[in-house]
Amino acid sequence: MSEMKTHSVGSRIPRVDAKDKVTGHAIYGFDVDLPGMLYGATLRSPLPHAKIVEIETSGAKKAPGVRAVAEGRDFPFTFGTAIKDQPFLAVDRVRYVGEPVVAVAAETEAAAMDALQKIRVKYEELPAVFDPREALKDESPLVHPHLERYPHSGHPIVPGTNICVLRTYKVGDMERGFAEADEIFEDEFSAHAVSHATIEPHVAVAQYLPATNHYTIWSSTDRPYLLSRELAVALGIPADHIRYIVPYVGGAFGGKNTLVAEAIAVALARFTKGRPVKVVFSREEELTATQVRVGAFMKLKTGVKRDGTLIARSADIVWDSGAYISNSNGVAIRGAYTIFGPYRIPNVELVSRLVYTNKEISGSYRGYGTTQVTWACESQMDVIAHRLGIDPLELRLKNAYAEGDRYINGQVLHGVGLKKTIEKAAQEIGWGKRGQPSSPTTRRGKGMAVILKGTLTPTNSCCFIKVNQEANATVICTTPETGGGQKTVLSQIAADAIGLPLDSVVVTSPDTSITPYNDAVGSSRTTFHMGNAVVKAGQQVRQKILDLAGRTLKADPRRLNLFEGRIYEEGVGERITLKALLSRTFGPAIDLLGEGFYTPADSPLLAADPNLEGWDARMSSIFWMFATHAAEVEVDTETGVVKIVKVAAAHDVGQAINPVTCEQQIEGAVVMGLSNTLFEELKMEGGRILNDSLADYKLATVSDMPRIVPILVEAQHKEGPFGAKGVGEPAAGATGPAIANAIFDAVGVRIKDLPITAEKVWAALKRKEGRGD
Amino acid sequence: MKIRIDLTVNGEHHQREVDPQTTLVEFLRESLRLTGTKEGCGTGDCGACTVLVDGNPVNSCLMLVADAHGCRVTTIEGLAEEGVLHPLQQSFIDQGAVQCGFCSPAMILSAKALLDRNRNPGEDDIKKALSGVLCRCGSYKKIVESVLALAGNEKENV
Repeated sequence: MSEMKTHSVGSRIPRVDAKDKVTGHAIYGFDVDLPGMLYGATLRSPLPHAKIVEIETSGAKKAPGVRAVAEGRDFPFTFGTAIKDQPFLAVDRVRYVGEPVVAVAAETEAAAMDALQKIRVKYEELPAVFDPREALKDESPLVHPHLERYPHSGHPIVPGTNICVLRTYKVGDMERGFAEADEIFEDEFSAHAVSHATIEPHVAVAQYLPATNHYTIWSSTDRPYLLSRELAVALGIPADHIRYIVPYVGGAFGGKNTLVAEAIAVALARFTKGRPVKVVFSREEELTATQVRVGAFMKLKTGVKRDGTLIARSADIVWDSGAYISNSNGVAIRGAYTIFGPYRIPNVELVSRLVYTNKEISGSYRGYGTTQVTWACESQMDVIAHRLGIDPLELRLKNAYAEGDRYINGQVLHGVGLKKTIEKAAQEIGWGKRGQPSSPTTRRGKGMAVILKGTLTPTNSCCFIKVNQEANATVICTTPETGGGQKTVLSQIAADAIGLPLDSVVVTSPDTSITPYNDAVGSSRTTFHMGNAVVKAGQQVRQKILDLAGRTLKADPRRLNLFEGRIYEEGVGERITLKALLSRTFGPAIDLLGEGFYTPADSPLLAADPNLEGWDARMSSIFWMFATHAAEVEVDTETGVVKIVKVAAAHDVGQAINPVTCEQQIEGAVVMGLSNTLFEELKMEGGRILNDSLADYKLATVSDMPRIVPILVEAQHKEGPFGAKGVGEPAAGATGPAIANAIFDAVGVRIKDLPITAEKVWAALKRKEGRGD
Repeated sequence: MKIRIDLTVNGEHHQREVDPQTTLVEFLRESLRLTGTKEGCGTGDCGACTVLVDGNPVNSCLMLVADAHGCRVTTIEGLAEEGVLHPLQQSFIDQGAVQCGFCSPAMILSAKALLDRNRNPGEDDIKKALSGVLCRCGSYKKIVESVLALAGNEKENV
């Protein structure tokens, strides 16, 4: 078969979904509106931990417009793939302020809200625990007293405690490692919970048809197949009795991949006699009752040679799961490993514990744990560099992974553009040169941080491609467009794999009754995994077209090529357009369907230490992403206010399928990273989140944006589509520590606990003044 | 009790009876089915519901439709004319300013209000005009570039 030529791939192509979006025609989950649709509202727990004594709903049931009222005992199912610990609606106990207790479906949103006022719930308050370090103590109340009774996925739990994941890992000889070190550094860091705060709230519409026992769910989610399976297991019905339809998603960032709005909508739909129920979360619910980034307390002990060689590191992480495990298990297992950074360290040891507390549920958040552990790893790298008198840039270059190095499980690393990202980011920020402050009371400084992030491995993606009689192609796949440019990138890959112009390709939105299996949009996996599936399907349909052209034109298909929708013959030139060919031949005898499937499960690139077993054996990643962010900040020494002047963000993306979408991910993540680091914090009192509006939970605005310079480094990956890897997640993790390190460079104070508020910087400056150093 | 309202939306005249507590965003989305206007908080904090009322950007979740009586309202659906995109819509596409797109209508309308009163805004003017609309995808850089690309453009209808 003739070789694929790239035409779309690598080009700065405008996004294929942009026109829908700038005209207001894009339909999101938020916009779904069906005949007979009812509206759901939820009564939530006002207490962090309590027994439910009595629920009185008769007033609500009689309220005008109300069609269904559901409480836990009406719909007594539980869900959770890691641990089946979470009820749809609380049954006998509530475990956080905001937990759903009773749901109402009514003709209008207002009627549903009014009916909630008529419900009376009597609670008996129980002692609660809010700090995961307290929750580890013997005397702590247990959030789930019968943890051992729940079905779970087989990871280590500790019955009789609040520990729902205990992950340990060890390589080398820690005692010897630390004994050989010239200096040992011990530091503690914390990374806080933050909200995904997507502008489109969580939304789901569910319809239940009693006659067939089928549910149809329209939802803003990034993993329809996994959620339909989770629902099926929870409800005890076949997975294909649950159909997921996903319109455009108004941002996800890891926050829309568990049963959130669906849980309420599904419970209500069971009782509305076939009428669909729409549940849209209020902003207050978004901030207090969805899921947040898993807060982490991290202790790092690192042994270093005088020349800066890292020789041993032990890490102890306590993660705050909140009231249920959701998908925090992956954070505590897989996310935790990257606390060792992208560095060669021969002796490493990890203890990672995920701990229940009586708080809002935690879960995945862009980076899946790496944003938290990178905060600790990269802050400590800066501590080490300064104490040893080594340039932080040199310390990183000295220890950084290079092509062919081994990961902590022995996997040989491939596609490693890390050092180039360090060098390019440093060059762009003007490393080593001090910037001119804008006033006599401010100081400028520069800092950097690196990050590595793997992708969940192995995972699967499938797709079909059909070519119609107008020579246009449809990629049929279950890849939601969450804002990451998924439709654009897959269109480009399909166009080049088949040999069509980009505007001849469309990518469907997910409908699990039609579109084939795909794990998820998440883990930065779409370009690589679905991209590979699309390449295979595209090449297959391309070959069918060339064979057809050979038969029709009486030519040897091996001498034919399809490029930009035109068929060329070697030595002859253009023979016919695909459209003309199909207008002559399209009909019953033609098969223009391609199918593609990709899983890295059997890839030789995953080979690791053969002695590893169980969870230890599952640490390889089919690709690794690397990035370096370098920040310049200006600190006001009188107020502690930090202004970000510039961020240079260099990312090794393998091969940019579309530089524009790569830049979007990087620039957007810098904004998210600085917003998380400087502004965002859920303030809590007695288990209740106080800042439950976007007026009080501050997100970065356009006015907070620094100068951002995205830099693409391309260390091509031999198994990636056209050499591509991923980019979405690691981008948000390096900005925070780069800022903290730049603050240290500017004014000599180190903030170890996120967020970096002006108060903390000011207090640290005062302490430093007091010490006279 | 219903009240009678009379207003122009995207050049089209509407006379309706509405509940007095109906907000402008509810009226646009539910009565007129103009779902290009989004709602992200309902309390005027995120700006996703921004529309133009007599040319000024307002949070349509905070404004009662009764208060728009007699006004000219422009939503995102009113920008393109006969299938030709407004220059701001085209610029957002060309500059890569759209990610999830949930804030795009509000950003574009806020930018239109700015350009309608200042044909040649600088970066600071643009940031000030758009700072009421939150974008969690963090597309701010390319959004500002999209507006800057049209600054100084004297053509009609910018």
